[in-house]
Amino acid sequence: MPMPEPILSVRALKKRFGGLLALSDVTFSVTEGEIYGVIGPNGAGKTTLFSCLVGSLPPTSGSIRFQGREIAGLPNYAVVARGLVRTHQIPRPFREMTVEANVSIGAHFGAGQRRGADARRRVAEILERTGLGARTGSLAMALPIGDLKRLEIARALATEPAVLCLDEVMGGLNPSEIVAAMSLVRAIRDSGLTVLMIEHHVHAVAGVTDRILVLNFGEMIAEGVPREVLRNPEVVAAYLGDDAGAA
Amino acid sequence: MQDIAGVLVNSVISAALYATMAYGLAVIYGVMRIINLAHAGLMMLGAYATLTLFTRFSLDPFLSLFVVGPLFFLIGVVLYHLVVSRLPRSGATPSMESLLLLFGVWLVLQNLAYVIWTGDTQSILTGYTMKSVAVFGVRVGVPSFFVFAGSVLSLVFLNVVLKATYLGKAIRAVTQNRDAALLAGVDADRISAVAFGLGTAFAGVAGGMLSTLYAFTPDFGRSFLLKAFCIIVLGGMESVTGVAAGALVLALLENGLAVWTTIPTSFQDAVSFALLFVALVAFPRGLPGLFARFARSRTIR
Amino acid sequence: MKAFPWASGAALGVLALAAPLMLERGTLNDVWSLAFAVVLASAWNLLGGFAGQVSLGYSAFLGIGAYATVLLSLRGMNPFLTLPLGAALAAAFSVLVGLPAFRLRGPYFTIATIGVGEVVRVCASSVSFTGGSSGLRMPPGSFDFTLNYLSMATLAIAVVALAAFVKRSAFGQALAAIRQDIDAAEALGIDSTRFKLAAHALSAALVAVAGGLYAINFQYIAPGSVFDFRLSLSIVLMPIVGGVGTIAGPVLGALVFSTLQVKLLSIPALRDSYLFLYGTLLIVVMLFEPKGILGLLRRFFDRRLRRFYADA
Repeated sequence: MPMPEPILSVRALKKRFGGLLALSDVTFSVTEGEIYGVIGPNGAGKTTLFSCLVGSLPPTSGSIRFQGREIAGLPNYAVVARGLVRTHQIPRPFREMTVEANVSIGAHFGAGQRRGADARRRVAEILERTGLGARTGSLAMALPIGDLKRLEIARALATEPAVLCLDEVMGGLNPSEIVAAMSLVRAIRDSGLTVLMIEHHVHAVAGVTDRILVLNFGEMIAEGVPREVLRNPEVVAAYLGDDAGAA
Repeated sequence: MQDIAGVLVNSVISAALYATMAYGLAVIYGVMRIINLAHAGLMMLGAYATLTLFTRFSLDPFLSLFVVGPLFFLIGVVLYHLVVSRLPRSGATPSMESLLLLFGVWLVLQNLAYVIWTGDTQSILTGYTMKSVAVFGVRVGVPSFFVFAGSVLSLVFLNVVLKATYLGKAIRAVTQNRDAALLAGVDADRISAVAFGLGTAFAGVAGGMLSTLYAFTPDFGRSFLLKAFCIIVLGGMESVTGVAAGALVLALLENGLAVWTTIPTSFQDAVSFALLFVALVAFPRGLPGLFARFARSRTIR
Repeated sequence: MKAFPWASGAALGVLALAAPLMLERGTLNDVWSLAFAVVLASAWNLLGGFAGQVSLGYSAFLGIGAYATVLLSLRGMNPFLTLPLGAALAAAFSVLVGLPAFRLRGPYFTIATIGVGEVVRVCASSVSFTGGSSGLRMPPGSFDFTLNYLSMATLAIAVVALAAFVKRSAFGQALAAIRQDIDAAEALGIDSTRFKLAAHALSAALVAVAGGLYAINFQYIAPGSVFDFRLSLSIVLMPIVGGVGTIAGPVLGALVFSTLQVKLLSIPALRDSYLFLYGTLLIVVMLFEPKGILGLLRRFFDRRLRRFYADA
């Protein structure tokens, strides 16, 4: 039986900032319905990778194929229109708007292009699913960090993506919040999306992902199922430095 | 050939003055990320101050620069403490509030000038205003010559201050990396006040020199302000050499157009503004940014 | 209580239209000027307030509208029919300027617009078919002040209503998102350049229509009056002082400025002090209440007024 074409396929992706090579020769594919993790120490290029995928940064070279079409170099809004969206590591809400208005932006202008009562219904649904139902009318500037992260996700979901890229949604959360976040990610996948997630919480991400990619200094050093990747000595060394000893 | 020599000589002379004018803006922007629209008003005041010293005390306009400089430094520091320091600081990015605030200051300065000196066109006529000398076979007005000397002097003085004094080094540090400089113990408020004073002093000195070359009214300064912006955008805001390079490019363009095309002088301003527009859009990081993109740095992470 | 703004707006509108029946010519002149100011301030606010892109070059659009009306009228066209043409011309010019300029952010965009305004003024003063610096006169014909007044009043009402409509629409939401965080807006699918260009074109067209009506009412225009930088300045100050980004703000600002203008002109000693006043107003607003008069009022009356003027 032939393999279905991966929903996202990255080849030889390179990103240079002046003299700094932030990403070099990154190649991987994501199958539809996967939860695909991206990990690596600070400064490994993970967020830069996401930025290149969604078009907020143009790659220096390389190819990004999404749903069979080349998207490398397209501007951010065009990529979102095709169904690939990301959340930000540090939430960027529209502070002067309410939670509902924030999510409506995603519903109106994302891939879904919803209007009127239809849009309102979707927004309400998403707010419930992400646990923001009680906060519908609150101004974004009044939200605590946990809710701001939910808002980031809700807004992105409102664009009706096929692939959702989550950038460190679990950062700064306590253990019970992490468990809740993990089940939210699974629920998102179960509703039909493909999920990429950058995470620093290596063990949390191991519990929810199907495969993991490991970056260090912009290069891929490992890819595979969590269990194997996390036992890879190179990966361990990258996180802990050269003085060996597994955590 | 005579034409080329003329264009070059006049451009170099203009460039020196433009650089002095532009640096006043650059230092304030570099340290505080504030775009000082009042710069135009301060240049205008510099011209009027020079005029007053000339008519009241018969002080030669170029000698009076030694008075205008320190005086305007003080004015700048006072202005900073009175108005600018009260702005809620957003830090890294230039804010609209500061832009509009200083715009307001400019308007007030204009009105002040109208009240004190009336709206009549003024000019400074000295014994040597009409004389000229030959430089490399090109006739150059004596005032222009002195303006060149004055500008070079100011820029040399500036360079010395920046390289040799603590405050100067602090200014360079904050311009390059604000956070690091603050962490290293630089007093942001004090440096900002000094920077604002320095910028104002340069505005005053530039205005004083401009007053020997042009007639002026309280509305004076707007076209020079736009030229200064053009230079800063072209030359990048962070280095003295960058500003000098931008000034030279602008001066060459202006003089070249005046000599080799039939575009009337009233259009010259429009040309500068058009260049500003093009520069802002095509070279967001100025010519230095352009060069940086071509140069290949050897440091890999 | 949410109906209050609409009700008061409608009432003011009706009053404005009925004014010729109640007021004498002198006062009507002042109300015409007020309506003119309201149009300019509210139109500018679409781009400057809603989308947060501050342009200091709007006199260019006023001038384009004025000159289009005069030039076309001199060639035999009905003055009122020239208005849509002037609007289209201004809109086209705004796109031409906007395409490169909107690549710039914040204050850099503002500086670029200063440059554009100056280029337009210089060109208009130097080119012969615009009559050069001595200006142009409308062809002699039927001057009907009541018609002029009603046109301007209607335009003012229309612009304010349009602004209110835009603010609540998806278009307005996109502009608000662009103002607050342009990158986050793009990350949710908003093509910010397209929206900025649209807001720019809409407001340019409205300002141009006002320019055309200005030409019809004053019968004579010159580059010094319609392309003046001080005009660009007033256009920006009114909404900022009144309350940038709101519906009532530009109207309040226009009221303040028109009144100031009238009062200043009548006191000889203060006649030349308008720069000082504008400047001080700007300084005070920026330092103490960037949200303008409306912001002050809101802070003062807090909860009660918030319910009245609940902007979406």
